[in-house]
Amino acid sequence: MVGSDALLAARLAAGDDHALTEVFDRLATAVYEGAIRVLGDEAAAQDVVQDVFVELWSRPGRYDPDAGPLRSYLVMRARHRAVDLIRSELRRVARQEHSYRLALQEPDPSPHDEVIVSEAAAAVRAAMGMLPESQRRIVELAYFGGLTCREAAKAAGIPEGTAKSRLRLALARLETVLDRQLLEPS
Amino acid sequence: MTGASGGGAGGGGVGGGGVGRGGAGRGGAGRGGVGRGGVGRSGGPALPAGLRERVLSASLEARAAGRAWPLVPAITGAEAFTRAADAFDVLLGALREEDWARPALRELDVQGLVGHLTGVEEDMHRAIARDPEVAMASHVGSTQPAADRQAGRSVAQTHAEWRRAADRTIELVRGLGDPAAELAVHGMRLPVDFLLIARAFELWVHEIDIRRAVGLPPAVPDESTLTLMTSSVAGMLPLAAALTGVHEPTSVHLVLTGAGGGTWDLSIGSGSDGSAATIVTDAIGFCRLVGNRAAPDDLELYITGDSGRAARVLAAASALALD
Repeated sequence: MVGSDALLAARLAAGDDHALTEVFDRLATAVYEGAIRVLGDEAAAQDVVQDVFVELWSRPGRYDPDAGPLRSYLVMRARHRAVDLIRSELRRVARQEHSYRLALQEPDPSPHDEVIVSEAAAAVRAAMGMLPESQRRIVELAYFGGLTCREAAKAAGIPEGTAKSRLRLALARLETVLDRQLLEPS
Repeated sequence: MTGASGGGAGGGGVGGGGVGRGGAGRGGAGRGGVGRGGVGRSGGPALPAGLRERVLSASLEARAAGRAWPLVPAITGAEAFTRAADAFDVLLGALREEDWARPALRELDVQGLVGHLTGVEEDMHRAIARDPEVAMASHVGSTQPAADRQAGRSVAQTHAEWRRAADRTIELVRGLGDPAAELAVHGMRLPVDFLLIARAFELWVHEIDIRRAVGLPPAVPDESTLTLMTSSVAGMLPLAAALTGVHEPTSVHLVLTGAGGGTWDLSIGSGSDGSAATIVTDAIGFCRLVGNRAAPDDLELYITGDSGRAARVLAAASALALD
């Protein structure tokens, strides 16, 4: 295991923090690139890099040197983590939007509820207004129009991959803006 | 047995040096130039500033440096000694009559070596009884009569006498009640729990001797016992260096891999003009080295930094062995 990934793995398991530093210096850029390729967002990609290295350090036995190079393992983990992040964000925004629609359908809301719903609606409108036209259109079709991503792409006259990409960027931006607006005390 | 006169309990500051299990009291990810973020070392885009520091800090918060993964159940020195004695007992029970006459160590055959261990137990009993004569007695000289008296005895007698003596040690230690109580025996003054780790180490080393003598493969202690052993001997490395005249100030980053492994930052020697070395080897091989049952050349070693000083430190490690 001379100078090999197996030696690095054994050192990581032994709690050798120098090995962790070595691995980071050697492979963090590749991990970051792998994450940003999926997410298209620097902040989210940095979170992925952190998750991947914390996991490697916390559970070094999950990496099996016999199964392949450490670089490939870490880049794969970054991609998986990035995809998980997107899925999670999509679910969260969908839940938020669903809750919002349910709130609108509730009969006889109390004056307090009306204020909250009205504020949320205003926040969503404001946040949507901050999106570029191309992204706003695809969100309207996919979430407020109830279309699938493929249907929304067709309706907008763009390839499905482009629609997904725009949706992903839009949701990330919406989430940031909405979190900030809805969490701020009025 | 491993040990040394006046040695501490594997803690820092022995022999003019010191030891720090990685992570304890250290500045998290502060070493190795953390904070240099922004360098794209693979030729790709630069990493965002601060990411390196952030990731390394978060990692070391999740798991302290120095701590081996996976964690093994912690046991006391008394438990380690009990397990080592049981393993030794099983080995003796498996020997054939003719095996007991095979040369094992120094001029001792297997039966004589078992007698030596009976003598060590008897000196432990005297130490627990605060007999001052045993405090500075020679490990080999003091136990030689017990080894000699095995001549002409049946192997069953030798085996049974040693087992009774080991059981008596366990019983007397239990009676002490305080694992931190210091005992003085064979030139060592150590807390009883630490002394029992050294005794477990000794039983394992002599198990190696007997297995080698009769052509059996070497045995490895269970991981909890091994972890205690490596922690103890790594902590005493500065003392071993001091005992053998290695006084040059050297920071040693010792990484022991595999079962019973861990990472330690050791300060060898004292004074200015220090250098640094990283030594990586497997935990079991390192224990054999400390037990004087392997030479540095026998180990698979990965050394970076000042290799000359690392070699001198490794050569000093076997000074802890008393045989």
